[in-house]
Amino acid sequence: MENTKWKHPFRDVEDVENILETRNYIADRALCLTSKLAFDLQKPMLLEGEAGVGKTEVAKVLAEVLETPLIRLQCYEGLDSAAALYEWNFARQMIEIRLSESESISKKTVEKNVFSENFLLDRPLLRALRHEGPRPAVLLIDEIDRADEEFEAFLLEILSDFQISIPELGTFKAKQKPIVILTSNRSRELNDALKRRCLYLWIDYPTKEKELEIIRRKVPDLEDNLAKSVARVMQNLRDLDFQKKPGIAETIDWSMALMHLDVSELYPETILETAGTILKHRDDISMVQSVNLENILDTKNS
Amino acid sequence: MNKAISKLLTHTHNLFVEARKAGLSITHAREIDVVRSLAGVDLSKIDDYKISLRTNLVSSQEEELVFERIFQKYWDFEENSDEGDFILARSELLRNHLETGRENEGHRDMFSETTTHGEEEVTRRSNLITRWDPNAPPLDKSITQLAKRLATRESRRQTPFPKGRMLDMRNTIKKSIRDGLEISKIIHRKRKIQKTRVILLCDVSGSMDVFNAFLLQLMFGIQKQLKNSKTFVFSTKLTDVSTMIKTRSTTIALEKIANYVRHWSGGTDICSALSALNRGILKEGKSSTTTLILISDGYDSTPFELLESGGTVLEKELRTLKRRIRHFIWINPMYGASTFEVRAQALKLALPYIDYFLPAYNAKALHRLVEGLSKI
Repeated sequence: MENTKWKHPFRDVEDVENILETRNYIADRALCLTSKLAFDLQKPMLLEGEAGVGKTEVAKVLAEVLETPLIRLQCYEGLDSAAALYEWNFARQMIEIRLSESESISKKTVEKNVFSENFLLDRPLLRALRHEGPRPAVLLIDEIDRADEEFEAFLLEILSDFQISIPELGTFKAKQKPIVILTSNRSRELNDALKRRCLYLWIDYPTKEKELEIIRRKVPDLEDNLAKSVARVMQNLRDLDFQKKPGIAETIDWSMALMHLDVSELYPETILETAGTILKHRDDISMVQSVNLENILDTKNS
Repeated sequence: MNKAISKLLTHTHNLFVEARKAGLSITHAREIDVVRSLAGVDLSKIDDYKISLRTNLVSSQEEELVFERIFQKYWDFEENSDEGDFILARSELLRNHLETGRENEGHRDMFSETTTHGEEEVTRRSNLITRWDPNAPPLDKSITQLAKRLATRESRRQTPFPKGRMLDMRNTIKKSIRDGLEISKIIHRKRKIQKTRVILLCDVSGSMDVFNAFLLQLMFGIQKQLKNSKTFVFSTKLTDVSTMIKTRSTTIALEKIANYVRHWSGGTDICSALSALNRGILKEGKSSTTTLILISDGYDSTPFELLESGGTVLEKELRTLKRRIRHFIWINPMYGASTFEVRAQALKLALPYIDYFLPAYNAKALHRLVEGLSKI
């Protein structure tokens, strides 16, 4: 299969910025430029950052922008090549073998038959490589740090050559190189060999201005004053030494919750009552109960 | 080629050299990727130029900070040279946009000759041979058990095994086809045994002097039992003694250590030792198969450096360390005492990151430690 180069729609970095913005994703310049380079160089993008800063969302938005399928491989400890790449449909193979017994078919033919593409179950990586187009699929390898290191080593062949070998069928080469986005929460260090094959970007928590813009986009019905307060409180909360600092996902959840509760202004009691939407650890909630929430609300500096 | 572009490429190459010096892994493939990236970037924007380089050359948040520091330092320096408008324009933009990455200034390469501890270091070299007690109760049996516990872990990979608990459907089907389309034999698999890389980090500072005999026995024993293990000693410096203690003769090994490890019985700098490990051996190899055993009383003679973002450099190093290893075992000889309390500041900071905190100071205690490690 030939590898054909696809022309991506982004002329320059501003173009990426504008297009992402139309999909309500407020990206900073580093992310836009890295995305453009990933398209230009056809290299995978490795996004690292705390949970909830919008790493996975990048892949979703890019797939949406390109009108191409998003193929997601959620990593977990113990993930193996069978679950990521392909599996043989053993049940169907057994039935086929039983059926073949009653017919006079040679063993060689049976073997060739049961190990053909008809009995192959595509898993995310193979599906991304075999995607026909017209545009390449977006392959999201989510939370790669949760997978074992053996799996990382296995990914190297795919990310370098965009091809895989199935012993019974031969080598499959991607018709169009998928747009690969790897995300990691940094629960462990990734292999250097894997990182070298990727463009790297650390996604930090957003600035107050960016966070406010995100709230306005994602929860447009929230009153502007309240949106400003939410952005300010979230920034202040991130200065506390929580076990898990609230990310953008929590900001949006909280804004939605406040809107549904018809809250028009933030008070310390409101924060305490709705703390469960922002903080996900008991110790963190206890901490927020013990601090002076007037300082967190910081109305003087609004 | 446009003269300005040619100049920029020269500067880019100089930056590669600087980045390499700072410890970033700048391969030729990465250099080529940078140049390819620059072709699609608006070079009149210094931020875009910087991001293109950064995204290709770094692989972690820490490396990002190192890169930022190198980049700013390099262009600040160039600002003073007479390179024309092109460079000056960049420098002006730089001044507006960059922030210094100070976080990594505290890092020291302890493997290099030019360590910062040189002047103030206490080098009370002792005759280690006198500390080696040939009549000490043998630890061999306990160390063999300890090595076995540490080095045998089930991998996720599988291997054919007649009495294995898992079914190997792929090979069962292939065999049944070969045997005349009859499922005549079920093939089984089991999990492979994974080798563990053990890194032994021994505190040989003055406060640990009384445990020297035990430490030496443990070092020799572990290195003998686990061939792929590594042994380091530290006080204010870190030294790899693995090759020295691989020698058959204990006396020769002790001679070598005595000649080479001149910081034995000195002060203690746990943070720098961990930093050197993080930047050195722990950067290589697989984290899922690495176990670090630190033997120390936790008393640190070096003041803790603070980070601008809050917390201490030691905590940062411990976080990095935790990501790069599977198990962190701290053996504290003092822990066995009835009056033991966690007073040492370094130990207090490290406790959240330790998987096993165990006592050991003699053969009996080591035997108990082996039993304590049964779940590893």
